[in-house]
Amino acid sequence: MSFLAQTTTTTGVNFPTIVFTLAVWSATVFALIALAMPDQTPEQRARIKAVATSGAGAALFFSIWATQTQAANAAGGAPGGELLEQHSWLSSFPFPSTYHLDADGLGLGLLLLVSVVFFCASLAAWRNDRRVKLLSFCMLILETAFLGVLVAYDWLLFLFFWSLPVAPVYLLVRGFGRGHRARAASRYAIASLLTTALLILVAGLITVQGNLRAFDMGTLPTLPGTGQAVCFWLTAAAFLLAMAVVPVHSALLDLEEDSTGALAAVFGAVLPTMGAYGLLHVTLGFFPIAVNYSLFFAALAVVTVLWSGVMALRADDLRRLIGHAGNVLMGLVLLGVAGHTTISLTGATYILIARGLAVALLMLAASAIQERTRRIRISQLGGLAWQAPHLAAFWGVGILTASGIPLLGGFFGELLLFTGAFPAHRWTTVVVLGGTLLLAGVLLWTAQRVFAGAEHEGFSRVRDLGVLEITYLGILAAVSLFFGILPAHFDTLFMNGATNILYPLSAG
Amino acid sequence: MADPSGPSAFQALLPAWFLLLAALVTALLGWLRPRLWIAVHRLIGGIGVVAALIAEVVLFRGITSITGISLVAYGGSVVVDNFATYSVVLLCGVALVGLLTSGTAAPALGRRAPAYHALLLTAAAGGVVMASGWEMGMLVAGLALLVPSLVGMVAVDKAVDGPGEAGLRQLVGLGVAMAVLVYGLAVVYGATGTTDLSATTAPLAGASPPLEGLGLALVIVGLASLVGAAPLHDWLLQVARASRGAVAGTVIALAVTSGGVALVRVLVSGFSASLRPWVVLAGVLAAIACLYAALLSIAASTVRRLIALGASLQGGLLIAALVGGGLDNQGRAEGGVDALLFGLAVFALSVLAGFLALALLEADGMGARISDLRGLSRRSPLAAGLLALGLAGLAGAPPLAGFIARVLIAGAAMAGGYGWVALATVAASLIYAIPALRALAAIFVEDEDAPALAGSAPLLARAGAVACAVFGVVASVVAGPLIYVANLSAISLR
Repeated sequence: MSFLAQTTTTTGVNFPTIVFTLAVWSATVFALIALAMPDQTPEQRARIKAVATSGAGAALFFSIWATQTQAANAAGGAPGGELLEQHSWLSSFPFPSTYHLDADGLGLGLLLLVSVVFFCASLAAWRNDRRVKLLSFCMLILETAFLGVLVAYDWLLFLFFWSLPVAPVYLLVRGFGRGHRARAASRYAIASLLTTALLILVAGLITVQGNLRAFDMGTLPTLPGTGQAVCFWLTAAAFLLAMAVVPVHSALLDLEEDSTGALAAVFGAVLPTMGAYGLLHVTLGFFPIAVNYSLFFAALAVVTVLWSGVMALRADDLRRLIGHAGNVLMGLVLLGVAGHTTISLTGATYILIARGLAVALLMLAASAIQERTRRIRISQLGGLAWQAPHLAAFWGVGILTASGIPLLGGFFGELLLFTGAFPAHRWTTVVVLGGTLLLAGVLLWTAQRVFAGAEHEGFSRVRDLGVLEITYLGILAAVSLFFGILPAHFDTLFMNGATNILYPLSAG
Repeated sequence: MADPSGPSAFQALLPAWFLLLAALVTALLGWLRPRLWIAVHRLIGGIGVVAALIAEVVLFRGITSITGISLVAYGGSVVVDNFATYSVVLLCGVALVGLLTSGTAAPALGRRAPAYHALLLTAAAGGVVMASGWEMGMLVAGLALLVPSLVGMVAVDKAVDGPGEAGLRQLVGLGVAMAVLVYGLAVVYGATGTTDLSATTAPLAGASPPLEGLGLALVIVGLASLVGAAPLHDWLLQVARASRGAVAGTVIALAVTSGGVALVRVLVSGFSASLRPWVVLAGVLAAIACLYAALLSIAASTVRRLIALGASLQGGLLIAALVGGGLDNQGRAEGGVDALLFGLAVFALSVLAGFLALALLEADGMGARISDLRGLSRRSPLAAGLLALGLAGLAGAPPLAGFIARVLIAGAAMAGGYGWVALATVAASLIYAIPALRALAAIFVEDEDAPALAGSAPLLARAGAVACAVFGVVASVVAGPLIYVANLSAISLR
């Protein structure tokens, strides 16, 4: 991408030039440490959990460092790319590949989201005492994979990180899931392998046919019309499948429904976010032909928002309801894609972050509800606010974030998104806005059914949240509040990211 | 190039002589002192392999930087070039691992252990001759050493499921492969009038299409069978079914490596990528081989069969790499050869890693059904980890080097204009990942209240298995230098 090529300079600052490497690989280092530790006694298992949390904490620390550094640079007028890392890897191959890490505003925002969600999930995983080593190892490897996807600027490296989560997710669902976990794991694996296959083919096509003769993602391929259209559709299919938008949403819903606690939070918050990142960063960022298919994304946004909104209305399983709510918000991201403006894409970035925070918060809260009541069906719950006021409060923060209420993470994103998309797709924006209102209504109604009403006899012994639960739910709520109260802190960074994405579209 | 006369002629095949000498000493000692410790045979074999390695590296030091060829002997029949050195180092590495891990098969081998070790060394010598041969006669001579030795290795292993029958079926399979290959080479000789593989390209281009096509087809089919590419992989399944893990791993890895070496020598040096018919045929064969092996693996109920089909899939991938361009008009190596040479090392050690993990389980009396693997991670974390790495390596899962090899092969196939071959290889790898994931789930997440395994496998065998498994991880980090070496090797093929 020539725009990026102009900006890939390093600052000369001593340490931060390996900050992406530290953010991505610190989790793996801790995973290997955890793997080498014994897990026979409760004390040993507690040590493994501490190592896992430390790994997630280290990744969070470096992610905050990277995001904050780049946000400060962006606010100061720096063009971006100050933290770029590029080292030769497969330099002798006819299509050389480099260890090229970088991130634009979109990638950095999601880097922060992913590391926050994983840190909170690692805290939530303290409550688990089964197969602790496997859980810790797989979670940390997953975090490496997701963070790697967000900063990889080389096709081979991107594919490497993209296909890394298949085995860990499969093992986690099979090992810690419930209900139809084998089916859910298999469906996820097949979908994930399919996306990998599509992306390998695209990488090959743009490397070879695009006259790049290299795997580097920092340069725009010069594909002919047909080749570009093929690559566009292949990447769109792969990333839409990963985003789990309607009509390919059931695999993710099964995964969320049949996983427990921390895993449901990670899967619901992060997996589709990776697909959305790919759609924005690759499909839009590499193929100017995307501008011709704006209507396709708009139509998909309408279908996803309305269908998922209606399904949320009908859902009786709390996790499935949260899954549908997440899908509605993913529909908003699609509208941002259809908008093709800096404002709509910046809004989509904020929405992705708010969505991830809301889904993680609600999934963890749903898990707390299920642990206490042994029930997950909404129709069997009620009056919980009497026994668990803190839990009700966090649930409230979650649904309000998802609903786009002012002072919480979702508001600023929705404002930008609808403003940016309206000029290009007026009716679609109105319909999607209606869908978000429907979602807000469903979430409020659910809160009323679960927490309000008369005190439930069977729940008289239900206890409120403990310190650990308040900690991880509090972190998620605090980040949502931060994005709601101080959205301007990142707006230049995210705007720059959106501009990077739109550069080839405007050039094309 | 060095002087082709005098001592050079002997020197050119020095690694093979060392291996054959070690084989002779082992066989003689086994005959004269049948009760000698197996460790002595292993030591002699190890000395032979290390001597062969040193000899090759010493020869390698004389390589000229421009041509990549240091020595030509026997009237051009034998060359010591970068490619030969790469191949000999790889073959010796496989043989060394085979020797180190033979302890797991010692109880079954009994008094035939010396014979097994001697056959292993002669098989490696056969591979070395094939690697250094730039002429059809040397290729056939190498095959004549390799194939009977591999058959013999299976036949002397007294495993449960009748090694005699498996050995016979393997003999038939590999014998037919060898016969087809020799017949194909004879037809090519008839069409070109030369047995020199470096001189067949131009005459082949002007040969009559039916004759040329027949020769090329037979050669490709023969080589595909040697690397165990489906549907010509029955011998490979028989070996996996009837032999101990260490034996099966060594036999299959040696066959695949030697076959891969021959693929490059014959198809890249001899036929050149400019001859489109063979490239198309190789593409069709590669696509069928990859998809067929992957589809069969879905129904695999034993981990032996799963690993064997993974090995067969690697054979298909090696052929697929060839369609990605051998040498361009200027004699520069295109991506396919680099990918093949990198993949050859990665695949051979992945196959070994898978079977050696199985060997560790055999030593503790564990069954090979996938259902037997339940709870393995609790019963034997080392074996579980090694088996997982072996399966992941065969499936080409990141972070193992098999993933990089697959992407490079697919990219090279696309660069060669064979997107459909790339599609088939990618699809096959992903299909194979499904049963591999099922096996991983059995190992790590399905509980079994069985006692921990004793870990009876000898220390050397465990070390060898760990080395092969770890290579898969390390090779992805140092893929750059490895591909650099592969690239240097490919240069000498011009």
